[in-house]
Amino acid sequence: MNQQAGSTPTVDHVTASVIQGALENIAIEMGYKLMRMSYSSIIRESEDFGAGLVDVQGRGLAESAQSTPLQSGPIPGYVQGMQKILDQRGDGLRPGDVIMHNDAYSGASHGPDVGFIVPVFYDGELIAFSATTAHHLDIGALTPGSCGIVDAIDAYAEGLQFKAIRVYDQGEKVEPVWHILRDNIRVSDLVVGDMEAQIAAARIGAERLVELIDRYGKAIFQSACESVMQHSERLMRQAIAALPDGTYAATTYIDGYLDDPEPSRKELPLCVAITVTGDEMVVDLTGTAPQIPDKPINMPLQGTVDIAIWLTVRSVLLDTAVHGHIPVNDGLVRPIKIAAPEGCLANPVFPAPTIARFCPGNQLADTVMKALAQVAPSQVSAGIGNLRVIAFSGLQNSEHWVHMEIFEGSYGGRDGKDGMDAVDTLYANTRNNPIEDIESHLPLRVDRYELREDVCGAGQWRGGLGSVREFVYLDDGGASVEGEGHKFAPWGFQGGGEGGTAGLHLDRANTDSGKSGELPSKVPHTPVQAGDRFVCVGPAGGGYGDPMLRDPEMVLADVTDGLISINTAANDYGVVITDELTIDDEATARQRG
Amino acid sequence: MKLIGVDVGGTFTDVMYGDTESRDLAIHKVPTTPDDPSRGVIQGLCEICERFDVNRGAIDHVLHGTTIATNAVLEYKGAKTGMVTTEGYRDILHIGRHQRPQHYSIMQEVPWQDRPLVQRRHRKVVPERLSPPDGTVLKPLDEDAVREAARELREAGVEAIAVCFLFAYINPAHEQRAAEIIREEYPDCFVTTSSTVSPQFREFERFTTAAMNAFIGPKVRVYVEELERALADNGFTADLHVMGSNGGVATGAMVSERPILTLLSGPAAGVLGGAMSGERSDRKRLITFDIGGTSADIGLVVDGQFAEATARDTWIGGYPVMAPMIDIHTIGAGGGSIAHLDAGQAFRVGPHSAGAVPGPAAYGRGGELPTVTDANVVLGRLQPGNFLGGEMRLDAGAAHKVMAEFGKQMGMTVEAAADGVLTIINANMANAIRSRTVQKGHDPREFSLVAFGGAGPLHGVEMARDLGIPEVIIPPYPGITSAAGLLTTDLKYDAIRTEFQTSGNVDGDRLSRDFDAMRAGLAALFKTDGLDEGTVEYQRSGDLRYVGQGYELRVPVADGAVDETSLADIFKAFEAIHTTEYGHVFADNPIEIVNIRITGIGQMPKVASPTLPQGGSLQDARLDEARCYFRLDGELQAAATPLYERDKLPIDEVFEGPAIVLQKDTTTVIPPGARATAQAGGNLLIETGA
Repeated sequence: MNQQAGSTPTVDHVTASVIQGALENIAIEMGYKLMRMSYSSIIRESEDFGAGLVDVQGRGLAESAQSTPLQSGPIPGYVQGMQKILDQRGDGLRPGDVIMHNDAYSGASHGPDVGFIVPVFYDGELIAFSATTAHHLDIGALTPGSCGIVDAIDAYAEGLQFKAIRVYDQGEKVEPVWHILRDNIRVSDLVVGDMEAQIAAARIGAERLVELIDRYGKAIFQSACESVMQHSERLMRQAIAALPDGTYAATTYIDGYLDDPEPSRKELPLCVAITVTGDEMVVDLTGTAPQIPDKPINMPLQGTVDIAIWLTVRSVLLDTAVHGHIPVNDGLVRPIKIAAPEGCLANPVFPAPTIARFCPGNQLADTVMKALAQVAPSQVSAGIGNLRVIAFSGLQNSEHWVHMEIFEGSYGGRDGKDGMDAVDTLYANTRNNPIEDIESHLPLRVDRYELREDVCGAGQWRGGLGSVREFVYLDDGGASVEGEGHKFAPWGFQGGGEGGTAGLHLDRANTDSGKSGELPSKVPHTPVQAGDRFVCVGPAGGGYGDPMLRDPEMVLADVTDGLISINTAANDYGVVITDELTIDDEATARQRG
Repeated sequence: MKLIGVDVGGTFTDVMYGDTESRDLAIHKVPTTPDDPSRGVIQGLCEICERFDVNRGAIDHVLHGTTIATNAVLEYKGAKTGMVTTEGYRDILHIGRHQRPQHYSIMQEVPWQDRPLVQRRHRKVVPERLSPPDGTVLKPLDEDAVREAARELREAGVEAIAVCFLFAYINPAHEQRAAEIIREEYPDCFVTTSSTVSPQFREFERFTTAAMNAFIGPKVRVYVEELERALADNGFTADLHVMGSNGGVATGAMVSERPILTLLSGPAAGVLGGAMSGERSDRKRLITFDIGGTSADIGLVVDGQFAEATARDTWIGGYPVMAPMIDIHTIGAGGGSIAHLDAGQAFRVGPHSAGAVPGPAAYGRGGELPTVTDANVVLGRLQPGNFLGGEMRLDAGAAHKVMAEFGKQMGMTVEAAADGVLTIINANMANAIRSRTVQKGHDPREFSLVAFGGAGPLHGVEMARDLGIPEVIIPPYPGITSAAGLLTTDLKYDAIRTEFQTSGNVDGDRLSRDFDAMRAGLAALFKTDGLDEGTVEYQRSGDLRYVGQGYELRVPVADGAVDETSLADIFKAFEAIHTTEYGHVFADNPIEIVNIRITGIGQMPKVASPTLPQGGSLQDARLDEARCYFRLDGELQAAATPLYERDKLPIDEVFEGPAIVLQKDTTTVIPPGARATAQAGGNLLIETGA
């Protein structure tokens, strides 16, 4: 179906606009239903799911506004990967089929993010796909939960691999597959329930799409899809063209495995060089550390690395707070090419494990922002604080319980604004679980949830503050941790100071069961006992601009609010504040020189 | 009984008088007085009494729709507010759900961080801690710490304090005691507790709701007091009732304590007015559709019941609010919405609006951008000489000029561009309605659309066709439907309690006890308001979900003790609703009763529908004929279109589109293929032909 051939009718401006709105409306309905029907808190509270429509060539047409970018962004890749596998098998799709897919080497984001894809047929012809993705609580890996599997030695140790598996065949449930799922996944009631919700939502999308095509006819519909993608492409090209040509490079580091004796597994560089030529850009990751063959922090090129790059480029260049709503589809990413040497962390070779790629990927997104900072300094934030995830688990009456909690980071300062405090950063945008929900349903207590005081990147616009959250076990169980940001502080920008690193502390109630103390950012499954306490200290974003230029009144406000101390005000900002919480103007002038 | 409804809008304060016995009705409009809206209210009341010769002292009830609370939130102009909360959780209000409002933005604002309802310096923590499932005290309340906090907040000049403790929705004792201590220390302060305002789980949302109640409390309290005084000073002896977001009214005293109940006061009255109109045409399934200059409000009414917003979907000014509200969906689409080509050359309409100033080009106030109103002028649907009953002349030349320039950018004629503007704005509005109906398992083809507001009747029929809606109802006074709705309200109070009980293991006695206690609480409120217990009707319901899910569905609960049989009915009803809403049911999975609710409805007198005089003829009603553009067989064509005067339309006589019906506060478009009838009850009923 080639538009340029001129054989198909060209859609008018009005119809294109109406169909674009309708496509988005369908994706939103899919997300709405998935979120409400699903069981596990990682989907329905944390919103770690995606929903979208993809054309027959595997190009994204629309995504649900409610999902998290790291879930909806990869959906076109899932479809492309599935199609490639089916083609290799000589297998075709038929109406009523539903395909399950999670192969990180064929477009999937990582194993726990399972995609369900419904092919959409019109007049007997395959015309599009309706798909949902969601992070599942467990995928049958070596230890409970699907986060913190930081010691999987290869792709096989990460849990079940689904490479374009048919779970409904022409409308008939393929029961053996569902038996395998139930038998090999912990908390399978929740997980299988979530999978069914995903399928129900994807089917609704498919139905609505057929109704839409009914209204306009196939030719107009397809022409409108082309027009809608071209529109987003034009916006991205204009935004890139506004940047001066050149190459802009940046490097940041991830912790890797800080407690590993092997140097090649820790303090690893992520390198980004962005070359802008006219209205296109190439993002080259050469220089990034080699893959770790037996540790799962390798990042799938399609599904994680691409999403991290696209997310950051568009958040900076087409910031929705500045440019308003912009339709998310294939057009937005066409002008951006990615180059990553095979065998590096950002382009691993099968069967290198990838399940714990979440935090390295977000660090890569931050590195892209650091590169863009050189050419779009007023559109970026200083370095962000990265995230951590803890999988809490245990057995109650021989039944597993698993709870995954994402621990927020924070943003760096911005041109004219302080950083956002204690939020998810860049490609993650999940939600925490209410304390009143957690404690009502799990043997856990949240003993503290507050801002982390007196640690933030100093700047004319200071970095966002981190959080402190404490979890106490009320029953024996286990925990595993995957995170980043314990070693390297978020970068300051334009004279702003570095932010603060994150920390994680385990207080053992009973010293017989193990040592209390500071933990690294990755902890494989470890048993814990009733009364044990995790103290999770969040990272603080980097500062933006010279702190000596910060308005003294804003420094005073931070002191009055207990966010920074009087000492910090004097040392970092040169603002002298009295015990009565007033500014000593003369002393400040002296201090600031 | 003699009633007056008065609704304060952005530009006008609308007043409607009704007599339940004589069936007299009268309407009036005065300019809104934004600095002190009560001035406009009193002026409107006095003028309507004077014009229609009604004795002020004879008015029994004044029913009031107000934006005072909403504006305090939207404009971030509330009281200096303090908070007393559990030690260890000082920043729940600031961290929220740790989610950014926008995915793809670096420069975005986080409303609860950038515009905090309570600044951190005024968030005081005190030792205390409760735990689920029964509110057991883990740590007793440190009363001295509360006293100290109250003193500090008083010294800091705080005017209102929210007391917010974890798990207070299960056990409010600590919050109540803390509030008591604060009142002792600081008697003039507006004090509110999270367990009074919204006793349900989810601490960020509940604390925010309580903080917002405190933030707007002093302002609303003063407003109500002053309005009551002004009424008395002007010889009105009527009771003042204020419209609540839940679709019922509350007494001035109640609203002074819980102003949070009035956040959607005006729009809720609009939905009520729409519902009343639907009822007059004997229609049971209604979509209410209120389009003004900048935004459109959409509501859903089934069998007289308003769809209620779920606690997790309710936001005001970027803050979550957990208070009972009619589900009203607002989108940025109205007569002033601006048509433009965006940076990527896509044809867009809205969400930016030309507002009242400069307004659409046709207003002749310097507006240079093409708007929806201009499109209606270009297509001949708005008559320059007949806008607002002829009070304001439209500049058709200006509308043509801006629309022609806009069309040229896309190689379109002026009419095609104008038609495109209407097609897109109608599609945007249809999408919004789809997400309120189709998305929730309702088929819009089974509904009637009640179209009102200044622009609703212009767009109603064509938008209804987009959705396959067969019928559109235009109320008698589409421009003041909110004021009319006020005359049809009841007193309505809600109670809620979080239960977390699971099927197979439900303590029915506890549920019965809790329902009884909640009902007793509401009965006490109605008694304070002077209502006989016998006149109050109670409706019970529960918020249910499958164990593990995070969203609840509202399920009706029959009266009487909760036992095995009634529980089975409740769970069966839940499955039916789950199927309707999601098209899916998870058989055999355990179901959790999350909250139980009870709503008390105290009957208020209501005005009956007017009976319009029979007689007249279409010929008498016909004012003129105009050339209007409509889409016929996919082609935009000009058609000779008769213009009728609404007041003179013959009753029960069908007339065919194309036709345009003019009246003072709106213009109704009846496109070709549609058929309209003026009904004796006052409505104009249009079959869309969809």
